[in-house]
Amino acid sequence: MTHPLTIWVGVIATLGVFSYLYKNNTLYRLVQHAALGATIGYTIVLTWTQALWPNWAKPIVQALDGTSDWTGALWLLALAPGCLWYFQLSKKYFWLSTFITSFFVGVAAGYAFKATLILIMPQIGASFKNLDPISIPGGLSWDSFFGCLSNLVFLVAMFTTLLYFFFSINTSNRVLRVPARVGRISLMVCLGGMFGATVMTRMAYLLERLRFLYMDWLRDQIIAIFTG
Amino acid sequence: MARWLAKLQHIDRRWLYLATFVLVLVPFIVKVPMPPGRASPTTRGIYETIESCPPDKVVLVDSSWHHGSAAENYSQFEAVIRHLCLRRVKFVVTSVGIEPIAPEVAQKVIEPIADEAGYVYGRDWVNAGYLAAGAPGAAASPLGIIIEGVCRDFHKFYPSDTHGTPMEKLPLMANVHSIEDVHMAFCVTYCPDPNWIQVVQGQFGVPVGFACMTIMAPQYYPYIDSGQLCGMIIGNTGAAEYEYLVDYPARGTDLTMASSFGNCCIILAAIIGNIGLWAGRKERKAES
Repeated sequence: MTHPLTIWVGVIATLGVFSYLYKNNTLYRLVQHAALGATIGYTIVLTWTQALWPNWAKPIVQALDGTSDWTGALWLLALAPGCLWYFQLSKKYFWLSTFITSFFVGVAAGYAFKATLILIMPQIGASFKNLDPISIPGGLSWDSFFGCLSNLVFLVAMFTTLLYFFFSINTSNRVLRVPARVGRISLMVCLGGMFGATVMTRMAYLLERLRFLYMDWLRDQIIAIFTG
Repeated sequence: MARWLAKLQHIDRRWLYLATFVLVLVPFIVKVPMPPGRASPTTRGIYETIESCPPDKVVLVDSSWHHGSAAENYSQFEAVIRHLCLRRVKFVVTSVGIEPIAPEVAQKVIEPIADEAGYVYGRDWVNAGYLAAGAPGAAASPLGIIIEGVCRDFHKFYPSDTHGTPMEKLPLMANVHSIEDVHMAFCVTYCPDPNWIQVVQGQFGVPVGFACMTIMAPQYYPYIDSGQLCGMIIGNTGAAEYEYLVDYPARGTDLTMASSFGNCCIILAAIIGNIGLWAGRKERKAES
């Protein structure tokens, strides 16, 4: 059960943010800065309590006071490469930070080869679609027919979109112009779908707040007082 | 008439905001009957994978969402946790990534559902806590290396749970040592990291399911098509579908109904705006 004070603070903050829809105002800016400050403060504390203390500081402290193995103290060595990141803030000693960045880029690049291969290869395999409805188990039916039609749409969209992005040859000639245009339309349909998803997410944000305002505050706090 | 219609494209946007606010509040205030439910294959994929979980295995739930994405992740997470509890499937919750607040948020959602189902902490479920793993998103992020480590030796990366209790003191964790003891990995966050697919499904062959914000869903469809993802819960609509499958309408169903009203409002505004534009052009043509 959430404490009423928490709900009231949430309500003031939510209405403060929504007030921007009317026009920019002091309450909106106050809430904005408070949210930013609280997030940064909370993240710093949690980073220490959840990450740095248990994974780095605690083994060192335990090793130094003898409650655990001495190898825990070796974590002190991590300070040196870790501090190299901060030389990015200095113009004179910026070059020192390149050691640590190059190390991380090297590790990331090596890992990327493996990761990309495992992620992409199954998708290349999955792009080989069946276009023969008779060969599908169960034989020719409306389901298998529409399944193959869907596969055909997929293949046309995939090849034409790839063609649209194929810059090694000139796609403005008579043969390639139409497929490249189909690829462009496929892309626009895809982007339209993605824009629809964006609208849905923005709507979800609004609904979650309105649900809070109505159910948690208006119904459970205000109306409940009058109805007992 | 055309002059009057042309004014439609100059309606103050604040009236539109107000109309949207009022319209989407209707389903919260008045109980609007939902049309007969159905579940998409992507949502059904998660449901069926959990249904097939053997009693000697657990489901690994990576909950890396927080208040910023609660608008959709809350209902998705709640629906799946409820299913796990109703189906008596044991689960371990991790928060691998960059959200230290995630274990606390997950705990608050799970506790009432677990209590209602008679689930005992440590015996039936465990909140392993936060594990820092750098910035997610890129295929080469350190997250993949951390996930691989967790999959190989869970206790090494998680010596204690989020409350600081050593793992050996939690009865459930006596049977969970590596990914071999996991039936499925399910990630709930704003934008689940493909490293989960690459490591858990690609390297270890364990099914992976995602629950993400609607805005992020298009980029994961290729993984569904290739069978790398066993399923995906997309936004509140996906959560409502899942609640229908579990036969427990809750937050996702409420929000989906309200979302339908909001979408109607947007479509109506687009139509009105277009009528205004058309009338405006007609008027200008007539004047010239």
